[in-house]
Amino acid sequence: MHTDAAPPRPRPSLAPWLIACLSLLGTFALSACDQPTRDVNQPVADSAEISAWFYHLVLVVDACILAIVVTILIVAIVRFRKKPGDEELPPQHFGNMKMEVAWTVIPTLIVIGITVPTLGGIFELAKKPDLNQKIVEVEVTGKQWWWEFDYTKEKLNTANELHVEVGTQVVLNMTSADVIHSWWVPRIGGKRDANPGRRYPFYFRPFEVGTFDGQCAELCGASHALMGTSVIVHPRTGPDSYEAWVKREQQEARKPTTPQQEAGQKVFMQKGCVACHTIRGVSELAVGARSRTSGPNLTHVGGRSTIAARTLATTAQNIAKWVKNPQAIKQGALMTNLGLTDEEASALGEYLASLK
Amino acid sequence: MASIADFANAPAPTYHMVRPPKTGLMDWLTTVDHKKIGILYGLSGLFYLLVGGLEALLFRIQLAVPDNDFLSGEQFNGLVTMHATTMVFLAVMPIIAAISNYFVPLMIGARDVAFPRMNAFSFWTFLFGSLLLNSSFLFGGAPNAGWFGYAPLTGSQYSGSGIDFWWTGLAMLAISSMVAGVNFIVTILNMRAPGMTLMRVPVLAWMILVIQFLLAFSFPPITVGLILLGFDRTFGTVFYQVSMGGDPQLWQHLFWLFGHPEVYVLILPSMGIVSEILPVFTRRPLFGHHAVIFSGIAIGFMGFGVWGHHMFTVGMGPIADAAFASTTAIVGIPTGVKIFNWLGTLWGGKITFPTAMLFAVSFIPMFTIGGLSGVMHSSPPIDLQQHNSYFVVAHFHYVLVGGALQGLFAGVYFYLPKITGKLLDETLGKIHFWVFLAGMNLTFFPQHFLGNHGMPRRIYTYPADAGWNLYNMLGTIGVVLMSLATLVMVYNVIVSWKKGKAAGNDPWDASTLEWMTTSPPPPHNFDFTPVVLSERPLWDHKRTPGFEIQMPEASESIHMPSYSWRPLMVASCILMIMVGLLTHLWPLCIVAALGIVAGVYLWVTEPA
Repeated sequence: MHTDAAPPRPRPSLAPWLIACLSLLGTFALSACDQPTRDVNQPVADSAEISAWFYHLVLVVDACILAIVVTILIVAIVRFRKKPGDEELPPQHFGNMKMEVAWTVIPTLIVIGITVPTLGGIFELAKKPDLNQKIVEVEVTGKQWWWEFDYTKEKLNTANELHVEVGTQVVLNMTSADVIHSWWVPRIGGKRDANPGRRYPFYFRPFEVGTFDGQCAELCGASHALMGTSVIVHPRTGPDSYEAWVKREQQEARKPTTPQQEAGQKVFMQKGCVACHTIRGVSELAVGARSRTSGPNLTHVGGRSTIAARTLATTAQNIAKWVKNPQAIKQGALMTNLGLTDEEASALGEYLASLK
Repeated sequence: MASIADFANAPAPTYHMVRPPKTGLMDWLTTVDHKKIGILYGLSGLFYLLVGGLEALLFRIQLAVPDNDFLSGEQFNGLVTMHATTMVFLAVMPIIAAISNYFVPLMIGARDVAFPRMNAFSFWTFLFGSLLLNSSFLFGGAPNAGWFGYAPLTGSQYSGSGIDFWWTGLAMLAISSMVAGVNFIVTILNMRAPGMTLMRVPVLAWMILVIQFLLAFSFPPITVGLILLGFDRTFGTVFYQVSMGGDPQLWQHLFWLFGHPEVYVLILPSMGIVSEILPVFTRRPLFGHHAVIFSGIAIGFMGFGVWGHHMFTVGMGPIADAAFASTTAIVGIPTGVKIFNWLGTLWGGKITFPTAMLFAVSFIPMFTIGGLSGVMHSSPPIDLQQHNSYFVVAHFHYVLVGGALQGLFAGVYFYLPKITGKLLDETLGKIHFWVFLAGMNLTFFPQHFLGNHGMPRRIYTYPADAGWNLYNMLGTIGVVLMSLATLVMVYNVIVSWKKGKAAGNDPWDASTLEWMTTSPPPPHNFDFTPVVLSERPLWDHKRTPGFEIQMPEASESIHMPSYSWRPLMVASCILMIMVGLLTHLWPLCIVAALGIVAGVYLWVTEPA
């Protein structure tokens, strides 16, 4: 029969565990080299803050459960190894009803403990903001592979870089012009799908000034990886305030100031760019007042920090490279290769980069 | 004490069949023997495991460093789509089918499955479907819309012919799975040996029974979804086209109504394998045997009520989100019950650690990690951040690699000796285990951090300044380790099959019926039908007086099902229909449809 005498100290091979622990520690140490810029747990808006709060709640619960499971497992493995020569059978327990009840009831309580506050969180995130207060409302349309931001009330239209004001409620109405996209700026909040044929709201209120990056999170074709976006949270006052940005953005495009820029504007007007792109104050002369939105609005494209949805920095050279052969930079890009000469491309680059 | 050596003295049975068996290649093409079909499934599954691994290796090379151009976006999307489709449908499911086919009849003391020809038909339909799917690499490129192929990206406006191969191939796999589901439900419910009550059915066979219900009821929704997609692409209907009044979200609901039960199809058999292996190497019964079975049923049942948790970001609204969050969290309860019963089995045992046991034990913490991150995803506020990020990639790889695949590896080391009659090499097995475990954790653990740091899944390139460089490099190194470990296993299987140590009938001193017959078993499985007196028939036969399995006095006469060409014929006709749909060769479809009618007529009128 089974005896309760203390078993002689077993000598299990601890080497694999040591290696595992050391490599885990090493990973943590090395990870200091990478500076994460899109950490979901460094929220800059209420939406991300709610997510991070729940994450930490469940993380603590999970860590406790994992610690219990792994501790029992390791103790069992070490303590209950078969000793050489010991052919006696261990006691044949078929189970224990009390324990079964315990490990059914306790997880049930844990699940209830997590789920009840979660339900509150769901409704908190979906709560319609008070529309009488000041809000920034933007129509967001995902397109292969860039984001259109239309500020209907402010009558301005821009791409890829969303401008909002610190402390002011933001309402994004998400939709898509083609396939399903998903708008995700981790420090602002969880992702929301942009569905063709539907328009769903996403609410958040940023509390930190700065620029926060993100990108599309739903596979949407060849250049899904090159569909970046940023949120620029402006202060409430000063030259860099949100209101100042709106004023600047509402102005018509700058006039060309150099001969090369003028040549670039001519390329823009004559080579077919106007079929898809709008430069307010310029493209109307060719195609009338109705703005074209199948490509990004370029009225202030030089003022955006990147082109092609965070694929290249906005410089005259990069724009020239892009318009020469968009597909070489972004596979499958819908922008037509217009067969521009080097001179035309660099003139166009100079012109567009000047549209601050 | 009784011993299984006694069974060698059983009177040899005589058996009769309508047609004498074929030999050689013809035998493999026409066989209806569940063991041979099991071997065919197993070899295909192992082959596709390597293919899926190679696909992963290629895209991990692309992701090793930022701004890499080893692959284009299009190629990368094709490889991730095919990696997932291959691993789910062509590697893990066939290996499960191999174990189900080979061992379920043995475990329940049956001579074969209920419908042997349907069984062969399932295999050929699976094989042709898998070949059709993979032939896309040769004709115009692999499918590239992700393994859950969200509409409208799969529409002909946005995707090339790869998607045609994808939906036709998957439709064939769906037919195969539904047929197999019905077959095994009938087999397990009706073909058990006398005395084997449902509660005496081994846990692995129980889990396989549960997944057959999942297959039979979850594949119809995806089949509907695939046919609608096929109509959209082939005949210009607009089920998923918004501009014409269609609805892409219809696909998401149909897909995940299949997709979530499918996840449990992949994990439950491994839970069953672990539940079989732990008792053997702790020398005790499974702790809470009934609780383990009922929690498996509960998991399978709940699997149909949680699909919406894949869609929290879609905008279903707070009511639906709340409902699916609650049902999803409930799945954690039966899962926890299983984990603690396994720990209860280990506690107080006398444990030995052959390779099978190493994999089975490491299943517990690895699966627990995956399960616990799943608890996070059940909460929409958290899931909105983690959905479609590398956090989710980490989660489901802990469940499917740390869980399902490790469980199946345990099964390979544990069960293969019954199939080949030879033991696998333990040294190579341990190298396989440790290298694989290290590689797996090196790849997937850092992916939790990648997800938290904002890296979405399925991006073929990433900027150097996003802070994702180290973890991606580690991930690639880990995949190399996993690949090497898997090759060690393949080498081990081949070498030991050729010249391994003889296993004997019962190499592990196990407790279930499959170990009472020879390794490999004769075509009729058992010389006599055993009468089952307890949930551990063989253990009690060996150790408990009064529970010996009684041998009959006289020899039995056994009817064996004869070989048949019909399953292969009908499966080929289904393949022809799919090829006709792909190439728009309508006469081929008509001929093939007539072929199916003729084949089924010949099938039902054929004496078996």
